Amino acid sequence: MDQLASKNAPTPWLIIPHFIFGGISLLVVTVLITFLPDALTQHYFNPHLLAITHLLVLGCISMVIFGALYQLIPVIMETKLFNEKLAFLSFFLFALGIILLVISFWNFWLAESIYIAASSIILAVLFFVVNVSFTANASTKKSIEKRFIFTSTVWLLFTVIIGTLLAINLTHTFIPVSHLQLLTIHAHSGFVGWFILLIIGVSSRLLPMFMVSHNLTVSKLTKAYYLINLGLIAVIISLYFSITYGVYVSGGAVVIGLFFYLSFLFEAYKKRIKKSLDIGMKQTAASFIIMIIPIALIQLISISSNLFDNINIPSVIVYGSTLLFGFVSSLILGQTYKTLPFIIWLKVYKNKIGKQKIPFPKDLYSETIAKIQFVSFTLGIMMLILGIMLQQNFVISIAGIVMFIAVLLYNINMLKIIFHQPIKPQND
Amino acid sequence: MTRELNEKENEVFLLLKGVIDPELMVNIIDLGLVYDVSIGEIDKSIIITMTLTSPGCPMGDAIKEDVQQLILKNYEGYSVNINLVWEPPWTLANITEAGNIALNGH
Repeated sequence: MDQLASKNAPTPWLIIPHFIFGGISLLVVTVLITFLPDALTQHYFNPHLLAITHLLVLGCISMVIFGALYQLIPVIMETKLFNEKLAFLSFFLFALGIILLVISFWNFWLAESIYIAASSIILAVLFFVVNVSFTANASTKKSIEKRFIFTSTVWLLFTVIIGTLLAINLTHTFIPVSHLQLLTIHAHSGFVGWFILLIIGVSSRLLPMFMVSHNLTVSKLTKAYYLINLGLIAVIISLYFSITYGVYVSGGAVVIGLFFYLSFLFEAYKKRIKKSLDIGMKQTAASFIIMIIPIALIQLISISSNLFDNINIPSVIVYGSTLLFGFVSSLILGQTYKTLPFIIWLKVYKNKIGKQKIPFPKDLYSETIAKIQFVSFTLGIMMLILGIMLQQNFVISIAGIVMFIAVLLYNINMLKIIFHQPIKPQND
Repeated sequence: MTRELNEKENEVFLLLKGVIDPELMVNIIDLGLVYDVSIGEIDKSIIITMTLTSPGCPMGDAIKEDVQQLILKNYEGYSVNINLVWEPPWTLANITEAGNIALNGH
């Protein structure tokens, strides 16, 4: 085999807009948290929190994931992306749909605008799924990572369809369960089915590669795959039919699956030959440590309250915040430093390698800025959790400011990477 | 290394210490990625048999290109052919003592 990843890489102009849209969305999220902290201290089914959450999960997290996946698919599946034009079309539809969806939620317009937004998003996701499926089909390589990634895209499609049905159901009720039950199904198919499965698929390939860890127990990933998927299907059925014990048992299967995955990662960490972690990997490691909080919290929430009646609202918002900000967003910020510099470095220097002195990918960004960003984002998350738990709007606003600074620094570094100018050759 | 190199082949081998893996920041000789160097004096060819730390390594092309250009720059008139192999697979045992020090300081 001599099929190298960078030969299959798509044009960087497909990937860069995804990262820029994601960075700006996250910045707007922190501004909204700063000025409207009460969105996080009311019931979670409020227009402002719906707008903020969708801007975060779609505008930032999913957008960056789409962009990164277009670059990473050649690495993981060892083949070219099926169709770049389809990916561009998907980006425009996704971006327009997200902007319209967030404005609609903010103003609680539950009619035409939200339907147009949802249709645009569904179409964008469908194009994305088609692209990933055909790419996976073209790849002769069979791997558990590939299966995780493909399955996660199917869950994403399911999530946006359920979200659309939920939006329609708000004005034209036709589904015989409560909106909150549907919201829980929508949220968990997205959190676990889309984010977690995708993260497992990508990270189980990339993190051992970055740390150079060999001889890992891949069967742990196979166990994780079946436990999480079957568990999640059972969770959804149990939630729909209000079967409390079904949620406990199947949720337990998902958690056990997650621990198999974490055990795989820990094994990779222990067997790594590169002992010192760079800033991108440090933030990645921190995000996995933070992941323990929402896992523990969902157990506490399940045990301490009746799932379908008197659920503790602040703990649910802390659960969602630690999962989305603490785990997924931190992971994305960290992994940006492992993917974007390489993409730009390859674009700028691929014809100059070996012919002149060139910088390394890590030289494309400021490590000091990255370190301050990492510390301030982590601090911001801790303050956010504290503010929600204490129901103190002032603390949430301060957390918003700290996170805004972190995300601003992230954007500065990201733009520094994207607009990196090639160094001029020196005369020997 | 699969066989004993002659003096000139060893020269090329040592020259490749100038190629750094951009992710690990260690040269490819100390990482043990180069399996063989073969020079054909009649057809003026240099064949490098090497591997990568993992298949699909995103930096693979860059490393190959660096090897090619470094040799072309130092051995005018020779053609360079890089034979990328996955057998035997690269393992930690391939790393030299200097490579271990560069990676982890010991």
